[in-house]
Amino acid sequence: MKLISQLLQNKKAMTGLVILTIILLVAIFAPLLTEYSPVKRVGRPHQPPSWDHWLGTTRLGHDVFARLVYGARVSLAVGFGAGLMITIIGTVLGIIAGYKGGVVDEVINFFTNMVLVVPNLPLLLVLAAFIGQASPLVIAIILGLTSWAWGVRVTRSETLSIRQRDFVKSAEMLGEPSWRIMLFEIFPNLISIVGINFIGSVIFAVITEATLEFLGLGDPNTVSWGIMLYNAQNAAALSVGAWWDLLSPCFALAFLGLGLALINFAIDEIANPRLRTGGMLNRWTRMVRIGEGKL
Amino acid sequence: MTTPVLSVRNLNIDYVGSEADFHAVKNVSFDIAPGEFFGLAGESGCGKSTIAFAVSRLHRPPALIRTGSEILVGGRNVLDLSDEELRKFRWREVAMVFQSAMNSLNPVLTIETQFYDVLRAHGPISRADARARATELLKLVDIAPERLDSYPHQCSGGMRQRIVIAICLALNPKLLIMDEPTTALDVVVQREILQRIDVLRKKLGFAVLFITHDLGLMVQVSDRIGIMLEGELVEVNDAQTIYRRPQHAYTKKLWASMPKLRGEQTRVEASS
Amino acid sequence: MAFLLRRLAFYLAAFLVAATINFFLPRLMPGDPIQIMFASAGSELSLENLNALKLTFGFIDAPLHEQYFAYLKSVFTGDLGRSIKYFPLPVTELLGRALIWTVGLMGIATVISFTLGSFLGIFAAWRRGRAVDSVISLGAIFSSSVPAVVVSLIMLFIFGYTLRWFPNGYAANPLIDPAWNWQYISSVLYHGTLPMLTLVFVLTGGFAVTMRNNMINLLGEDYIVMARAKGLSDNNVMLWYAARNALLPTVSSLAIAIGTILGGSLVTEVVFNYPGLGNTLYQAIIARDYPVIQGQLLIMTAAMLVSNFVVDLSYVLLDPRLKKA
Repeated sequence: MKLISQLLQNKKAMTGLVILTIILLVAIFAPLLTEYSPVKRVGRPHQPPSWDHWLGTTRLGHDVFARLVYGARVSLAVGFGAGLMITIIGTVLGIIAGYKGGVVDEVINFFTNMVLVVPNLPLLLVLAAFIGQASPLVIAIILGLTSWAWGVRVTRSETLSIRQRDFVKSAEMLGEPSWRIMLFEIFPNLISIVGINFIGSVIFAVITEATLEFLGLGDPNTVSWGIMLYNAQNAAALSVGAWWDLLSPCFALAFLGLGLALINFAIDEIANPRLRTGGMLNRWTRMVRIGEGKL
Repeated sequence: MTTPVLSVRNLNIDYVGSEADFHAVKNVSFDIAPGEFFGLAGESGCGKSTIAFAVSRLHRPPALIRTGSEILVGGRNVLDLSDEELRKFRWREVAMVFQSAMNSLNPVLTIETQFYDVLRAHGPISRADARARATELLKLVDIAPERLDSYPHQCSGGMRQRIVIAICLALNPKLLIMDEPTTALDVVVQREILQRIDVLRKKLGFAVLFITHDLGLMVQVSDRIGIMLEGELVEVNDAQTIYRRPQHAYTKKLWASMPKLRGEQTRVEASS
Repeated sequence: MAFLLRRLAFYLAAFLVAATINFFLPRLMPGDPIQIMFASAGSELSLENLNALKLTFGFIDAPLHEQYFAYLKSVFTGDLGRSIKYFPLPVTELLGRALIWTVGLMGIATVISFTLGSFLGIFAAWRRGRAVDSVISLGAIFSSSVPAVVVSLIMLFIFGYTLRWFPNGYAANPLIDPAWNWQYISSVLYHGTLPMLTLVFVLTGGFAVTMRNNMINLLGEDYIVMARAKGLSDNNVMLWYAARNALLPTVSSLAIAIGTILGGSLVTEVVFNYPGLGNTLYQAIIARDYPVIQGQLLIMTAAMLVSNFVVDLSYVLLDPRLKKA
């Protein structure tokens, strides 16, 4: 709760939250924002933006704006779904490894380091290639199952330091079972690490889903930003001058990425007081300028 | 009376917050005479380290030394120095041993380089001359010159502490500030270090501003002592008075909270 | 030395994991693995050639563990099978040719963005909370949050199609014969500019943020304060005390970033039709050329492990505490 109220006071976080909220509202109210279906031919191919088609049409005569607003649903769903999965696996394994120590720790740590050096995107490409045309759900699941290693590493090292603190020691003295200690003593102290891991994973999932689909490993019948990129690229949108077809999903992805990154940066500032620049430095600069003091 | 080495007048330091400020040092004034061993005691957070940092102007935002404060070293107000004057003033006139002196050496540079960079920063000197000077300084603290080629992690904690002291003496400063320099060390090493400082002080004639929360230790080594409470200097007196007839209620309280030291307290004597 | 040997053993194990994934993946898929892997080979390959290819991937009439060792044997003897699309071109040769372009592109982009990002991070941290810091931080956040595919498409649109400053694809002008002369080299540089700029844009932000945060965490250290108290110049303290130490955690974060860099360079190549691994792979995916797709995982894992080893080496050089006499 404290984290949330601090987030609301941080300018970067607020900007990020506003961006995220806009995209979320667009995704939820997509049918109200456009009269067109995202999968029906509603105009002539590759029409430039006009009053009828705000962002023009694709080569197949689909309305780009309609595909964009409906596509937001997939990007958000895959991003947050996979992000949640990555975070849960990473946090659980990280806390267990860090708290239990010994053999359990060694095994988890070994696998984590292993997964960290096998390059992620190439691995995903092989997986997706064997699955064939992967739906967004399948992409989310394989992302969730393969991308938790970074989360384990940071959670584990943080748990190692929290384990030494007095309140954990005293809970152990009182004979609390270890699952209670991990859940109620350690986890609450990891909130900001978990938050950074979560938002970072969402960014990663959004980018990777779009990339896999762009590379032709997605299901071409999906309405998503990555498939929009794939179709536009296949339709040689840039060389025929249909820039709206390609740039619309580009800017949507950049906008979502920026919003999430701002939130992530803000959580980092809140978690690590040394990184905070906030109001006091502005006030300090002003006081020095009017001659109230110096360093 | 001779001019003091350090003369602090009406020092006010705030830590600026986004709404309100924290007054860390409130209107503090005191003098340190040449060659004097002056102690500054108080609980942690009372502002004693904040004063130490202010003397060499080492603070970073959001710390703010209020206008009207004066820190006179050798008659010059440190707070009026330009950036370049300040850079030249540092270490030449006031050197400092930090709280964890063991960690105040740069882990990725050799000991020699850490002598060389300070000597070069204060005047032209060749690498060979700098090495000769560093050897000489290490001898003062009983460290073999071979150590010059070592990295800090290759030296023990006590050794690193002595190296820092040797670096402090590189430019013959008039004042040496020691900010709780011995907290991380065991009692035996602590005592050994302080004895050594006392010997060097008598030999080289610098004054010492010694900061600690350990009043018992301080009484053994200091000429005069200042007691700080929540940013204010509540009592300044010679060490024996502070020990035998503390004036301020807080000083008495500090003594009461200490384990009783039985037997006669004597000053650490130079035993060179 | 012991440190590096331990790392080497670990990398060998990691490579084994990648090979094992390659071995089991087709066998875990529903349906006939041979059918899946060589479906597109169909009528084009003679039975003899197809059988040789099956042997490489361990499809022999024997228990699973023997199949596994047969596969590992081909992998560790450098036989990754042959491309089905470009039969009989060996996968190692196909990917090996492409690897040179990717390593060149990725390597130079990494060096540039690491240097640039680190310097930006150093300045931002040193002037924390001032205007420079805000500008660099916001720029870095933006650069690190936009997907490589988006940046490369926008770059291509602006500089390739609209302004026509740079070519839209290929590593060099196809009309010029590859040779060590200025004509060819300048063509390579000219064609490489846009993909390079894309990668530098995508990567610099991340390095800047890492360096900035590592620096800020260090600025409170006693040795930094002592360096200032010693009267050293600001530049000296900033570079030799703060940045020099902040470089250590930044370099180790570089090791983790290599996977991301590799991923970014894959898509960039596809967009710019650059003949590296990414583009080769893209063609293989379209043709469902499974031996090539599988081979790329091994080659990229190997590339990643080598880069990690280089990072380990530079870490040992940078940190005297790891150097044992």
